[in-house]
Amino acid sequence: MAEKFDHLEEHLEKFVENIRQLGIIVSDFQPSSQAGLSQKLNFIVTGLQDIDKCRQQLHDITVPLEVFEYIDQGRNPQLYTKECLERALAKNEQVKGKIDTMKKFKSLLIQELSKVFPEDMAEYRSIRGEGHPPS
Amino acid sequence: MGLQFQGSYVAQADPQVLMELHLHLPSVKLQIGGSSGAETTMENFSALFGAHADPPPPPSALGFGPGKPPPPPPPPPGGGPGTAPPPTATSVPTDADKSSAGCGPFYLMRELPGSTELTGSTNLITHYNLEQAYNKFCGKKVKEKLSNFLPDLPGMIDLPGSHDNSSLRSLIEKPPILGGSFNPITGTMLSGFRLHTGPLPEQCRLMHIQPPKKKNKHKHKQSRTQDPVPPETPSDSDHKKKKKKKEEDPERKRKKKEKKKKKNRHSPDHPGMGSSQASSSSSLR
Repeated sequence: MAEKFDHLEEHLEKFVENIRQLGIIVSDFQPSSQAGLSQKLNFIVTGLQDIDKCRQQLHDITVPLEVFEYIDQGRNPQLYTKECLERALAKNEQVKGKIDTMKKFKSLLIQELSKVFPEDMAEYRSIRGEGHPPS
Repeated sequence: MGLQFQGSYVAQADPQVLMELHLHLPSVKLQIGGSSGAETTMENFSALFGAHADPPPPPSALGFGPGKPPPPPPPPPGGGPGTAPPPTATSVPTDADKSSAGCGPFYLMRELPGSTELTGSTNLITHYNLEQAYNKFCGKKVKEKLSNFLPDLPGMIDLPGSHDNSSLRSLIEKPPILGGSFNPITGTMLSGFRLHTGPLPEQCRLMHIQPPKKKNKHKHKQSRTQDPVPPETPSDSDHKKKKKKKEEDPERKRKKKEKKKKKNRHSPDHPGMGSSQASSSSSLR
C-alpha cells in the first residue's frame, strides 16, 4: 500500500522538478537551449505517462473533499486530520457523558421506584432480568 | 353497549374497558342500555360477569344490540381538515400489544434494542489504534502553511487557488477534457516550440518567485533581502552563488575592519588618542 504512494510521489517529484527546470530554460531562452527545451518537453510527456500508470493502482483511494478546501486556501492538510481527530474525541466524550448520565438516572429511578412500588419493580426485574440485568 | 352512571353520564365502552372498570370500581352502580331499548339495571356488575377477570361475553349474547365502536379521540388543538381519521375498533392488535397484554401493568413495555459491543462510552481512538496518529497531529504543533507540508514544491503555494485559477475545486467541478493516451511529441511538432531569445517579461517572472524561507536569523541576518529572488539559469546559478559569496566576504571584512578601527580609536592604548581628543575638544569650542 505504501509502495504505491512512494511510486506516485517519486514520479510527481520528478515531474515537478522537470517543470521547474523547463521554466528556468524558458525564463531566459537562448538558441542553444532549444535541444534542452525539446528534451524537457518529452520528459513531461513520459512523466505524465508514468503518473497515469500509477492511477490504476490507486483507483480505490478516496480523499475527502474538505481536504481540497484546505489546500486551496493554502493551509496545511494535516490540520484537517488534526481537526478530525479533535472533533471525534470531543464527540466521543460527549456521548460517553450522555451514556453515563442515563445509566445513573436509570439506576436512581429503579431505586426510587422500588421503594414506592416494590412488587411491581420486582416483576419488572424478573421480566427484564433474563436478558438485561437490572442496574 | 351503553353505560349510564347514576343517570347523569352516558358513555359507550368496550367490554374490556368495562372489565377494567369492574376491577378498579366494583361498587359503582351501572345501568346498561342497548339499541333495542331494553334496559337492565344492575347494582353489582360482578353479579353478571363474575368476580374473576374473565373476558365478558359479546353483547349479542346478552340480548343487546351490536356493539358500537368506541368514541373517537378528541381532536388536537390545531386540528382541521388535515387531521387523520380515528382508528376503528375493528383494527387488529399488533404483536407488541399481544405480547404486552400478558405483562400486567407493563403493557407499554417493549423489547430493548440489541446491545452492541462498540458504543460511545469506549475510547474509539484506542479502539481503532489511532493513538500514535493522535499524538503526532494533536500533541505537536502543526504548522499552518501549505509550504511547510510541501517544502520542496516551487512557486508561491501559500496563496489561495482562486487567485490564479489553480484551485483543486475548479478541477473537480470542471474536469478537463481528456483526449486519450499521452503520445510523445515528434520532431515536426517540436518545431512549434520555438521561443524568442531573451528574458521573460516581468509579468511571467512571478512564477519563479518563492516565498523567503525563514532560516536562523543569526546566520543569515546580513544576507537577508526584501526583494524577491531573481530568476536563475542553470549555467549562471553556480557562478552567481560564487559571486555572491565573494561579494559578501569582502563586505563583511570591510565592516569588521571599520568596527575594529572605531574600537581602537576610543581605546586608551591608542597612540593617536590624545591628539584626536584635543582636536575634537578644540572643534567643539
